[in-house]
Amino acid sequence: MEPIIEMVGVEKDYASGPVVVRALIDAHITVNEGEFVAIVGPSGSGKSTLMNIIGCLDRPSRGTYRLAGYDVGSRSNNARAVLRNRLIGFVFQGFNLLPRTTALENVELPLVYRGQRAKHRRAHARAVLAQVGLADRVDHTPNQLSGGQQQRVAIARALVTDPPLLLADEPTGNLDTRTSDEILALLQRLNRERSLTIVLVTHESDVALCASRVITMRDGHVRSDVRQSSPRDAGEAAARAQSEPEPTSARPGGE
Amino acid sequence: MLQSIVSAFQLAARAVRRNKLRALLTILGILIGVAAVVLVSALGSGAREDINQKVSSLGSNVLVVFFQPNQASGARKSQGSSLTEDDGRALVRESTSIAKVAPVLRAGSQLVYETRNWSTQVFGSTSDYFQVRAWNVVRGELWPDTPRDFSEKVAVIGASVATELFGSLDPIGRTIRIGRYPFRVIGVLEKKGQSPFMGQDQDDLVVIPLASFRKNISANNLVGSVDQLLVSATSEETVSRAEVQVDAILRQRHHIQDNSDPDFVIRTQSDLRETQDSIYAALSTLLLSVGLVSLGVGGIGIMNIMLVSVAERTREIGIRMAIGAKEGDILVQFLVEAVILAMIGGLGGTVLGVIAIAILRRVLEWPMTVQPGPLIVALATSMIIGVVFGFFPARRAARMDPIQALGRE
Repeated sequence: MEPIIEMVGVEKDYASGPVVVRALIDAHITVNEGEFVAIVGPSGSGKSTLMNIIGCLDRPSRGTYRLAGYDVGSRSNNARAVLRNRLIGFVFQGFNLLPRTTALENVELPLVYRGQRAKHRRAHARAVLAQVGLADRVDHTPNQLSGGQQQRVAIARALVTDPPLLLADEPTGNLDTRTSDEILALLQRLNRERSLTIVLVTHESDVALCASRVITMRDGHVRSDVRQSSPRDAGEAAARAQSEPEPTSARPGGE
Repeated sequence: MLQSIVSAFQLAARAVRRNKLRALLTILGILIGVAAVVLVSALGSGAREDINQKVSSLGSNVLVVFFQPNQASGARKSQGSSLTEDDGRALVRESTSIAKVAPVLRAGSQLVYETRNWSTQVFGSTSDYFQVRAWNVVRGELWPDTPRDFSEKVAVIGASVATELFGSLDPIGRTIRIGRYPFRVIGVLEKKGQSPFMGQDQDDLVVIPLASFRKNISANNLVGSVDQLLVSATSEETVSRAEVQVDAILRQRHHIQDNSDPDFVIRTQSDLRETQDSIYAALSTLLLSVGLVSLGVGGIGIMNIMLVSVAERTREIGIRMAIGAKEGDILVQFLVEAVILAMIGGLGGTVLGVIAIAILRRVLEWPMTVQPGPLIVALATSMIIGVVFGFFPARRAARMDPIQALGRE
């Protein structure tokens, strides 16, 4: 197995006025291709900082971080934008879809920045939307979609570039339990069927249980790094919820 | 690259469509500025054409010599003009560049026909007057090319005088009274319209034979003295040479040294043209600067609204950056949006300007011509304004930190 994420002694400081806040301290993390990693920890534990660095949105203050072999720390803003576009699919808690823009156009967006032709973009985006079960919703704008559907659009947008790594930041944070399970089942399926590496940040233990490995953060340190031999099968839970009579339709998420 | 510019245009067009009212208010400054510039240029080129037309109506090869008393001739001032008919004859004789000279006496006088009366300028001259000014009758005839003591009481009247005194009647053969004496109208001059300078009505005049003027209108005039000499150069090209020769000949005849002021002034049509050109130039400069100020204000308006737009769409910028937009992509996106706004303003202003020109031309009969050059310049200017004033907001957007833009702190 090739390591996709290699962190050696990565630290991140923030200047908060005259005080320097050490948000991330001496992180050594290696994630291999095909892993499903959950990063957990209370707010302020440094998990968002870790996520920003993994996502190439930020650079480490010290230490080296390699993503698929590329040294991120030495790269300019534009070079990291290219890395994000090529290597990472982002899924955010607030879905972060462009408002008043159709599902199809949202999914097309990463391909626009690859300079692909509109015809090719559209066909590809349609196909990926079908894979996440939204073939009949391509022309809906985010406010016409439920929270679960919006998150599926976001996942489709993350997958459309066929990245080796999917970064999900609290992907179920705005969803009810049943919809959360559906989204987690989708992520598990992608991980299983495509060997897609997934790094997921959450503070819910239920969600973390679905991952094959759990990294726990506290006060900027990695506290524990545990492999789970039998992760919770979210698909099963979702199927069970489906058979129950309770009509918990996804509550409409949105901005 | 082409692909990304095309997408940037689609994106920007959509962003503009979403905020129609705001876009409209934003482009208003540019719209007014461009409309003003288009109007000014049309006014300028129209005015120039108008001047050319009117100058040629006066005869572009015509020089006018006026008497102007100087210090040396102060004593003679009370005796009237020092220009004489003999001066005129000398000019024709001695200059190589002069075709004809018409001596002119003039006075304001009251004309009476039956119950109507009209006050106008009476000119006394020879039949050369009409040749120098290349002026013909539309009805009747001129008096014949006769000896200079021809003193019949006949009159050739301008088109305006004909209208004022006779209305729809045919003036030919009718008798009018000029001052105290009856004159027979023998001709009506063709219409010339307003003069290029000061806009006087050139058709508001009566021309009578010089000798007749002396006898009947101002009998106390010095014998041989005239108010003006109307000179025609042999062609338009020889006007300046004729001017030099007139100056030399008259100085010699009036015994005026080369280094002292003469007692006459020579006016050419190009003098008049220059004067009027400079008036129009001043007016154009004024209006043009109003237009430019308006364009500047419009540009600031665009910058302002683009800054608001960038602030509002911070999250969108963050998302785009997260999924791979480079700084240049974001810069181009917002720059194109600003340019589109400015260009819409430019197009709107051009249309507005052309409509305003059409209205002004019809209603106020202003001389205006629309030319493609200024329209292209106006559009290009508005595009440049979009780039210049859109750059700062676009750069601000491009330099955002994706983490902060996404609100992940």
